[in-house]
Amino acid sequence: MFHVVGRRSAPVTRLLASRGTVLVDSVRGRKSRGDPVAKSKEGRIKVPPPVDPREMVVLKDRYTEYQLILKALRLEFREEVLRKKFEEETGSLAEERARQDAEEHRALMLWNQEENLRLLKARVLRIQKEEEEAERIKMEAVMKLEQQQQEFIKLKEKQVLQLQEEAKNFITMENLDQRIEEALDHPKNYNFAVDREGRVVRQTVLQ
Amino acid sequence: MLVFYNKITCQQTSGDVCKFLHPKLFHLLGGGLSADNMVHLSAHNKRARDSKYIEQLGTYDPLPNIYNEKLVSFNFDRIKYWIGCGAHPSKPVAKLLGLAGFFPLHPMTITDAERRRAQAELSAAAGAESEEQTEKPAEV
Repeated sequence: MFHVVGRRSAPVTRLLASRGTVLVDSVRGRKSRGDPVAKSKEGRIKVPPPVDPREMVVLKDRYTEYQLILKALRLEFREEVLRKKFEEETGSLAEERARQDAEEHRALMLWNQEENLRLLKARVLRIQKEEEEAERIKMEAVMKLEQQQQEFIKLKEKQVLQLQEEAKNFITMENLDQRIEEALDHPKNYNFAVDREGRVVRQTVLQ
Repeated sequence: MLVFYNKITCQQTSGDVCKFLHPKLFHLLGGGLSADNMVHLSAHNKRARDSKYIEQLGTYDPLPNIYNEKLVSFNFDRIKYWIGCGAHPSKPVAKLLGLAGFFPLHPMTITDAERRRAQAELSAAAGAESEEQTEKPAEV
């Protein structure tokens, strides 16, 4: 009744179907076991396709010949495949290749060893340099510390000397009376005047 | 429009040379919807016909081109390998290979050709008879 598109995969069916067709996947065996036979098929007797005996004889001969040849071909191809595989694995070329591979491997291992030695030397040198560098820095730090200590000592000495010198002018209990007398005898005038040009005037009314 | 794609794929029978799990045969596979309707020969094991295949062994275009020829190509080297590993071709593939000359000609190709020739002769004879009959009344 509906035009069912031929047995294809779902996306192809969808693509192929035009606007009018119903998308139904053609499924074998629509009828189940108990369904009655269709009206159009009531008196049907299934008959195998007609066979021409002469043609069948000829056809059988042809088939036997064909199968014979095919069998022979198959065996030939199998032999060829086996031979190829055998040669691949144990042929003369395979030995050569194996030998070459071994040699290459040996050479590469040697080279690797040499590389390792070279890198080792480089590494040793580098480590040595680094150690020396560390030593130098440590020495420098120690020296710097020493220098700082020296400077500190010098500074303190200088300060002590300065203080000693200033101590000569200090007012002690012995000098007290003398210094008072001195101060009263020599009054000092700290007043002065300055103008914008920087002229200082020390003469005042007090003096 | 009946679009017919054929891919020839290879299912392989258990061969000890090539280690595969399932028996295989190479047959025609349905191709995708393309403008040229190309068809591929491919090798795959026991799977759905159009699913992933092992190898493509050739092509077959069922639609004749402008010179009225259907183009087929084969990768004979690989076909030999797969047959050696125990693959079997399907009927249409065997027929194509027979026509190509790689296999002997398939018996059904010959018998079909003979049948068609007999049919053609019959229809030609019938046509000649009907012509004679029409001529005779015309004469008479």
